Amino acid sequence: MAFKCPACKKQWDVSLQVARHIFGTGDKKHREWIESQGVSYADLLVQQATNPGNASYQTVADLVEKAQDKL
Amino acid sequence: MTTTSLAKEKLHVINTHVHNIDGIAKVTGRATYSFDVKLPGMLYGKILRSPHPHAKIINIDASKALALHGVKAVVTGKDTLGVKQGIWRRYSELCDEQILPVEKVRYIGEPVAAVAAITEEIAEAALDLIEVEYEVLEGVYEPYEAMKKEAPEIHEGVERNINVTRHIEWGDVETGFEQADYIREDHFFCGGQAHMCMETRSAVASYTPEGKLTIYHSNQSAYYMQALMAGVLGMKEGNVRVIAQYVGGGFGGKFELDGAIFTSCILSMKLHRPVKVIYTREEDFIATKRRTPMHYWVRTGIKKDGTFCAREARVVSNGGAYTGMGATALYLTGFFHSFPYRWENYRYDGYRVYTNTLPSTSMRGFGAPQAMFCSEQQLEWIAADLGLDPIEMRRKNGHYAGYEVPGQAFIASCGLDEAFTVMKEWIAKKGKLPANRGIGFSAAGFMSGGIFNWFDTPYSFSSAVVTINQDATVELHIGATEIGQGSNTTMAIIAAETLGVKVEDIKVHSGDTDHCPADLGAWGSRQTLMTGNATKRACEDAKAQLLEFAYAKMGLNIVYDLDIKDRWVHIVARPERGMPFDELVTIALRGKDGQRIIGRGFYTPHRKGMISPAYSYMLQGVEVDIDPETGKIELLDSLTAHDCGQPINHLGLIGQLEGAFSMAAGYGYLEYMPYEDGKLMNPNLVDYKMIRATEMPETPIHDIDTYEPEGPYGAKEAGEGLTNPTAAAIGNAIFHALGVQMKECPIRPHMIVDALKEKAEKEKAGK
Repeated sequence: MAFKCPACKKQWDVSLQVARHIFGTGDKKHREWIESQGVSYADLLVQQATNPGNASYQTVADLVEKAQDKL
Repeated sequence: MTTTSLAKEKLHVINTHVHNIDGIAKVTGRATYSFDVKLPGMLYGKILRSPHPHAKIINIDASKALALHGVKAVVTGKDTLGVKQGIWRRYSELCDEQILPVEKVRYIGEPVAAVAAITEEIAEAALDLIEVEYEVLEGVYEPYEAMKKEAPEIHEGVERNINVTRHIEWGDVETGFEQADYIREDHFFCGGQAHMCMETRSAVASYTPEGKLTIYHSNQSAYYMQALMAGVLGMKEGNVRVIAQYVGGGFGGKFELDGAIFTSCILSMKLHRPVKVIYTREEDFIATKRRTPMHYWVRTGIKKDGTFCAREARVVSNGGAYTGMGATALYLTGFFHSFPYRWENYRYDGYRVYTNTLPSTSMRGFGAPQAMFCSEQQLEWIAADLGLDPIEMRRKNGHYAGYEVPGQAFIASCGLDEAFTVMKEWIAKKGKLPANRGIGFSAAGFMSGGIFNWFDTPYSFSSAVVTINQDATVELHIGATEIGQGSNTTMAIIAAETLGVKVEDIKVHSGDTDHCPADLGAWGSRQTLMTGNATKRACEDAKAQLLEFAYAKMGLNIVYDLDIKDRWVHIVARPERGMPFDELVTIALRGKDGQRIIGRGFYTPHRKGMISPAYSYMLQGVEVDIDPETGKIELLDSLTAHDCGQPINHLGLIGQLEGAFSMAAGYGYLEYMPYEDGKLMNPNLVDYKMIRATEMPETPIHDIDTYEPEGPYGAKEAGEGLTNPTAAAIGNAIFHALGVQMKECPIRPHMIVDALKEKAEKEKAGK
């Protein structure tokens, strides 16, 4: 299954890659999509920068998966 | 210096020993730096700086200063258009620095006001009479603190003070780690470093009533300064002339606007008189920019046989108060952290965080020295852990010509393998070393100019115009900036080789926006390849025009090829048949109704990946002696194995590599920038320790010639990239001498003493 970025519609094979793309791009459009899901982009980013593992990416990947049928 | 030549054609001028063409002017004191410029009616400017790391500016009262005899003007942010500027012009959110801010200051040393007076002393005295009312705000100095929810907001609307993020990834990192037999994680910290140019930031601005602004300025890109100043002053670029004929060093710190150029222009425009602003050494320390301090976390997975499986790195950098070139450094550190190896699976996440400290930016190596300090030490420790030969482990995974860094770069030339062989032989010859002495080496690679156009220039990245005079001398106009690295000489050599004349026939004109074509300037090791290509093409254009007249004059069968070498125009197959170059020039002038032959050339990289058109490779070896009681490090010997493609100027290459080694060694164990509450504690050359000539070891260089197809005559980068491996090489030498792992750069004596104590305690506990 392919997963589309809800902000720009680019797609990847795994949702985690879409999450990485969203953080990696980090522009207004992608930030706003994360905020629209009820989570703080800045909080997730800081968590990712300061803690081991990929918890923030996983959180966004889950949101990306949930958003697929609305795209 | 030993050389193995693979040059594709017989070269007459290239790779000979050519002394810098501006050398005589420099050593006889006739070279005019901005510092030396004196104009009629010139005033002297001084800058009042913030004593606070973070504060609101409530009011500035300059009335007492203005009353001082000899003071002609005082300017503040209210005298400017209030433009927030930056070099990443394509991204307005990264243009965040208003020189002479109106509302608040964000670091100690930020300009607040500037005075122009008839003497420097009066201007200095006037600074004390300016009364500034501040509302001091809470400051934050470390990136991890600045990211906390309760941290003060440094720039309005920038949540958690995160300025920029960068992500690089290829392969399947998780799967890569699953395949690894051995995984290691380490945390590192790499500190800042001052650019420490011999010439401090300096400018002389002269605004005349017809609306023309002329600026003599010490910079790395006259074109950038022209465009940026036009932007902040609301002027047309063509009305701003920037002259940077002689520049006393740049090292990545002089291609953004600084307080000297900005305040001298504002004052000159207010007074319609020339104004000179020269930074003191202390101002250069506290109020310019620095190498970016970085916290690195590195996780590496490899197989027992030394095959690299996966690497993941995370960087949090201390961006200081403004973006500067920090966004580029944040990307490049992540990219070069993968160098010079073939990682099938690689991931990098970078976070740049604002703090109330001196802004961080690019510096020689552009983020790569930090990357290599972490990468190359960790690899050495892994090899030791697994009992692998550290050279063979690296060689097995090294880049080679034809390799593609997935989605990022194509490697067309690579002398890395030979460099490993050279290093192995050097280490073997050293034999068994005495106690407390160690040899370390480190590998690295670097770019030959950047492909990115964040500046949003509409021009070619490099351009050149060549004109042939009646006396057969040649005028070469280039936009490249000669900052002491020898680029004018490099271009003269390329022009002489291409046109078939002597170096002394070429007159190079550079560093003047009124008379030279636009060029992005001297940064990212771009000029030899990019301006070199533009110069070569301009000369080829002129040469082709000249040879048309030679064909006609000599009445040759069209199958014959003509060429010019050593001022002799000749048939390639029968070199004795020909005519002197000057005779051909005269014929061409007559044939063109008196018009001079003019050749034009330009270069912009296309389809060369994400980063650079070409990459250099290098290994740095060092032998060190450490006093275990004091932790003092002494450099005893070194070896550089370096692939810069086809060297253009043998002598210049040696100078560049020796200079890079010196700066990089300083970063490795001496040059430390301690801050307390946002204040730099050693802003002078007594307390800030740089390597001295007497502390430099011998620096033999083994030059590995490859042929880079994208470069002029096969040339690529030399001189910046060698800043990358040295700190790690010193760390590795300490590891082999004492068995301790140094995770902070610069490696200072107390760290070694502490590490030895910790090691002894562990050994004692183990018994």
